[in-house]
Amino acid sequence: MSSNKYFKHEGPWSDANDPLMCSDTGDWRTKRPIVDKDKCIFCGFCAIYCPIQVMEMIEESYFSPDLGFCKGCGICAKECPKNAISMMPEGDFKK
Amino acid sequence: MITKAQKKSQIKVITGNAAAAIAAKLARPDVVAAYPITPQTEIIEQISQFHANGEMDCELITVEGENSAMNAVMAASIAGGRVFTATSSWGLVFMYDAILAAAGARAPVVMVNVNRETPGIIAVSSGQQDMISTRDAGWIFLIAEDCQEVLDLVLQAYRLAEDYDIQVPVMVHYDGFYLSYLSEGVNVPFQEDVDKFLSVLKTQPERTKLVPGGKLGCGSHGILLGYLELRHKHMSAMERAKAKFERIDKEYEEIFGRSYGGLVEEYRMDDADAVLVGSGSMCGTIKAVIDEKRAAGVKIGLLKLRMYRPFPSEAMIKALKGKKAIGVVDRSLCFGFKGGPIYTELKAFETQLGGSKMISFIDGIANTDITKINVATMIDMTCDLAAGKDVREVTWVSYPEAQEEGGL
Amino acid sequence: MFVKSHGFHILKPRKREGFNMTQKKKDNLTKVMDYLKHEDPFSKGVAFCPGCGLELLIRFIPQVLGNDIVITGTPSCSAPVLLGQNNQTWHKLSYFGTLMTGAAANATGLARYYRKAGIENTVVCFNGDGTAADIGFGNLSGAAERNEPFIYICYDNEGYMNTGIQKSGTTPFGATTTTTPLGSASKGKNLRRMNLALKMAMHKIPYAATATLSDLDDLAKKLLKAKEAKKRGFAFLHVFAPCTTGWGFAPENTIEVCRRAVKTNYFPLWEAVNGKIRMTKTVKKPKPVTTYTELIKKFAHLSEEDLQILQDDVDYEYCMLGGLSVLEGECQLPVSSED
Repeated sequence: MSSNKYFKHEGPWSDANDPLMCSDTGDWRTKRPIVDKDKCIFCGFCAIYCPIQVMEMIEESYFSPDLGFCKGCGICAKECPKNAISMMPEGDFKK
Repeated sequence: MITKAQKKSQIKVITGNAAAAIAAKLARPDVVAAYPITPQTEIIEQISQFHANGEMDCELITVEGENSAMNAVMAASIAGGRVFTATSSWGLVFMYDAILAAAGARAPVVMVNVNRETPGIIAVSSGQQDMISTRDAGWIFLIAEDCQEVLDLVLQAYRLAEDYDIQVPVMVHYDGFYLSYLSEGVNVPFQEDVDKFLSVLKTQPERTKLVPGGKLGCGSHGILLGYLELRHKHMSAMERAKAKFERIDKEYEEIFGRSYGGLVEEYRMDDADAVLVGSGSMCGTIKAVIDEKRAAGVKIGLLKLRMYRPFPSEAMIKALKGKKAIGVVDRSLCFGFKGGPIYTELKAFETQLGGSKMISFIDGIANTDITKINVATMIDMTCDLAAGKDVREVTWVSYPEAQEEGGL
Repeated sequence: MFVKSHGFHILKPRKREGFNMTQKKKDNLTKVMDYLKHEDPFSKGVAFCPGCGLELLIRFIPQVLGNDIVITGTPSCSAPVLLGQNNQTWHKLSYFGTLMTGAAANATGLARYYRKAGIENTVVCFNGDGTAADIGFGNLSGAAERNEPFIYICYDNEGYMNTGIQKSGTTPFGATTTTTPLGSASKGKNLRRMNLALKMAMHKIPYAATATLSDLDDLAKKLLKAKEAKKRGFAFLHVFAPCTTGWGFAPENTIEVCRRAVKTNYFPLWEAVNGKIRMTKTVKKPKPVTTYTELIKKFAHLSEEDLQILQDDVDYEYCMLGGLSVLEGECQLPVSSED
């Protein structure tokens, strides 16, 4: 049989029992969402509307994005009924 | 065909199409896709009747087109099922993208293709152009000479396609009109013997299947060397199919008493100087004329091609080496080349034949019969070549205009 | 073109419950969360545009329907993520990468074999509008006619987006695409879009529905209804999924675009059980279609006259829908012959 270096099977099968691929999409951002935790009413709109579903529940009190993958689209800020999220330029956070 | 006496048998007088349908029934497929096209329609009609009578426990999908037929059976096959479908010419080329996908996915699909002329010129008549149009799809191609061989090849196709070492889809070809509608006496195997013949597959490791929640996905992109790796695996599997098919032929003989000689069948070739190479139903006529010629002292033989893909070059070279002249009969055209397709492919191995000369005969296109007189002409011309005379390279046997001055 | 991967990522399950919450905050939490019973099987870092409607949808479906669905995908915007690369993959679902021409036929083969073998399954045939309305429509219609037991979900971003924004059968009147560009002889697509969802409802399948990303509870309910209807046969969902890159609007507006599409009746939300149409959201005072088009650059060049053509078409479609839903209710279907 031929080698199994790139594929483990005879045909074009991929295997999710192996670690999944992942891109560094956090690197794409030009704007970053900042959550004002006092204004947050915990409605979860930001979480359900985030295309990547990166909003995490923090301390049972507010939501905050996983910045490793947030692409900075701004949907969370737009959909927040309390304007608790602002999109700040990514450049402000560079060291 | 060599036959050993069997304990009991059932001979039925049936058409080639009925033989294919019965073989499909005996194989116990899980999913069958049915779409009609002349000259295959009787196959799916018979299967539908078997299904309606409760004789076939399968999912019968009456699809809305051949493209869907191949897509449906390919997916069912990837999910782990045994499948069957049948088509011809126009339908075959309509499902071409799915045929490529099935081969690339290494889905063990078994399909019958009843040869008919392809679109381009509207014709409801037989020819092998449809087989030629799809020869590079990566499938294994087998060709039947008579109704008995149709039935036997379909059963053997399952053993070949689903073999763990192979996993390449198999297409069984036979001439439309000449075999599809012709009734012959066929020895129909008993279900328990077919079950026994196919049960060997259950003793092998299980192939990869698409299972809900299984986390495996089929149809991943082939990236760079990954793509090459898959192609190499596919090509290697096709190479292995040659030896595997010979073994299957022998095992078939043990259970059913019939052997066809494997990849090729040699008919009266031992002391022949001149040999015709043919495939499909024409071989019946050729054998009859060879017997007549032999009675008159002409040393002529026939090499019948049974497996067309992978091209059994080793077996052909072994059989043809040292013959003085070879006349290859093609029931199709090879666009852009002067000779027929099988002639052109065999010619690539000419240097390994030890000096044999080759000529091409094109005949049997669009139901122009390959008559006994035509075969006699081909034999005479090949014998002339064997005797050292100058013979035209390509002859359209039924169409003399092609041979006129300024022709091809 | 693939984003360079920074190594492999082991997915952590996202926390959603099991800790103390103040009652006030618990009450505030959107009910949509209740539908998201399963984890998101996709890797977090995948190549969809920021703000992509399709990305939200593709993560939403397995969170509602479960991670044991078998999903089929074709060359499309979903392909770079749904289909793997060599042995590697971006998600944990069982999938089958198929041809656009035979997507529904592939799903048919899977669903039929699983039925024969007695294997519990939910086959989701997941395609864009290009596959569903154009190149793959024949086998979609065939599968619906035969009432095949799987769910077909069409995400409608109104064009062939993966190949760079070309017109499809669902591209609306006036829209600019690279095959209906602006020029001295062209003002964008000069033909109306076709109503795919209505065509599918007319097959009288157990379930057909439209849904969008602004009304996620509606979408979740319809996904679950489709899964239930699959026991009786074919289920079709048409999901309006705007494309920020292809249509020309700021990524943050994706959900707002959906919302306005519903508010203007550009994309009405309805469902049809066995062909009986019922509006699932009735917009009492629909806004003019300009409320929708003003957000989107692909309509920016349209004159008042052109916008009126679009408005008339939206009104016509809605009228048809309304008429059919009333008619279905009034239609006296023949009773069973046993009576």
